[in-house]
Amino acid sequence: MKTSAKMWKRNLFIASFIIPTFLFFCVFTVYPVIQALQKSFYDWSGMSENSEFIGFDNFIEMFKDPIILTAIGNDYFLVVGKVIGIMMLATFFAVALTRFKLRSSGFFRAIFFIPNVISVVVIGVLWNFIYNPQIGFLNAFLSLFTKEKVDIAWLGFPKHTIWMLLPPTIWAGIGFYMILMIAAIVNIPASYYEAANIDGAGQWGQFRHITMPLIWEQIKVSIINIVITTLNGSFVIVQLMTNGGQPDNTTHVMGSYLYRMAFQQYHFGYGAAIGVMILVISMITTLILQRILRQETIEMS
Amino acid sequence: MTVKNPIAKLSVWLVLLIWSIAVLYPLLWTLLDALKNNEQFFLNMPWALPKAPLLWSNFTYVWSKYNFSTYFINSIVVTIGSTLLGMILSAMTAYILARYEFKGGKILYGIYISSMMIPFALALIPLFFLLNDLNLINTWLGLILVYAALNLPFGIFLLVGFYKTLPKEIEEAAIIDGTSHYGTFFRVMLPLSQPGLITVLITNMLNNWNEYFLGVVLTNDPAKYTLPIGLAVMQAEMQYRVSGGRYSRDCSSRRYRRSSSI
Repeated sequence: MKTSAKMWKRNLFIASFIIPTFLFFCVFTVYPVIQALQKSFYDWSGMSENSEFIGFDNFIEMFKDPIILTAIGNDYFLVVGKVIGIMMLATFFAVALTRFKLRSSGFFRAIFFIPNVISVVVIGVLWNFIYNPQIGFLNAFLSLFTKEKVDIAWLGFPKHTIWMLLPPTIWAGIGFYMILMIAAIVNIPASYYEAANIDGAGQWGQFRHITMPLIWEQIKVSIINIVITTLNGSFVIVQLMTNGGQPDNTTHVMGSYLYRMAFQQYHFGYGAAIGVMILVISMITTLILQRILRQETIEMS
Repeated sequence: MTVKNPIAKLSVWLVLLIWSIAVLYPLLWTLLDALKNNEQFFLNMPWALPKAPLLWSNFTYVWSKYNFSTYFINSIVVTIGSTLLGMILSAMTAYILARYEFKGGKILYGIYISSMMIPFALALIPLFFLLNDLNLINTWLGLILVYAALNLPFGIFLLVGFYKTLPKEIEEAAIIDGTSHYGTFFRVMLPLSQPGLITVLITNMLNNWNEYFLGVVLTNDPAKYTLPIGLAVMQAEMQYRVSGGRYSRDCSSRRYRRSSSI
């Protein structure tokens, strides 16, 4: 009797702590996601009376839409560019700030992290100014080396504007991953390096044979994290820096095209279908990536 | 061991120095530019230092003329509200998931964790209509609820890990002393989890303070803009006005003019 009363009390406690959060989560996350999945099968302009079930038509239309193809291409371009750029620089900085025992490493560490706390909007505005053909310092800097004043509209070339989005995103992303790597490197026992030293391994050899294998887990996590956040979130910087896919719709990513379709052209059904597509693409990519990156993680003893 | 080769050390140090300039200079440049008048802004080299008199009034101008005081208050209210709500909800669930065995606990944890993978662009459209139906578009409450929900999975993930590291004995001692489950949580476990809570607090606050996209969709009244939205709108308007020529072709403020009646 006493134990059952106790159990009842315990269960009541559990329920009272779990249920509010879960209800809240259902209303503001689960329900919208299910709604989005459902609406992707409708031709829907936003007014509920105009919604009509059309099955897979949105998805079929998507395969014929050239802008979608560009957008997916851009998404992957940013993914690849960011993974390479961020991982190389972040790993280099992490090694430099730990293994080289510089006296000023704390100072650099603090500075490199600054862009990570800045809002993406500020980053977009800032880099818009840097790229600005009249008042930006990129052109002014280049003009130092040329006879004529350089006057390039960096964000105005249909073919190359997407390249211009890499520097700001890499610039803004490095700090966080660098800190992850530093934490991993600091955890490697110093005796490993001492032993390697005695064996005559140089800095590069130590990096290849000790640091790299022992931080592989962090590298893996970082790459997957970059991929997910890029596929799911790079549309913010696209929206801010290229006016949502300009020039000529060449810089769209899936997310910015979704916004354009849904909130500017009122094809909400089509927009929802693009959203589903983003989900599918990022899930498939992550799965493939996990396969590729699967390599025995070496445990430190 | 330390690197002995001074050349290697110097070149590494140089690379680090170059990158710190690349990080700091744009920020400094913006600050300096903010103190220039239009003439200096357009005619001088971008890295020319602002000439006296420094135009500190630019800041007050933006602050009052572009409603930044309103955006600022909106940002503060929304950030504090959503951070607190998100933290309380995630701490309660995380504590249970870390400490109590019950049916479905693992599944629940799995649901929360896997929802971190969901692109929020997917939920954007339904969220807009949900808040529209609840009459929460252009309200603080609407933004607070959505932002809090957005951060929930990460908070749970982090705090479950944290509660698992706290020793069980403390809790057992509290229970033996006759403290109720609630008392144990609020009087013992919550204070003990301060370091974990602070991590969640900082990340959530940063996220909520900097959030832009949901805010853009869920507000269309300048009186309810948060700082990032206000800044983006202002930049669009300014560019339209300031820079003629090629660049402004695709920088009309049209992109930020959203219909208020869908």
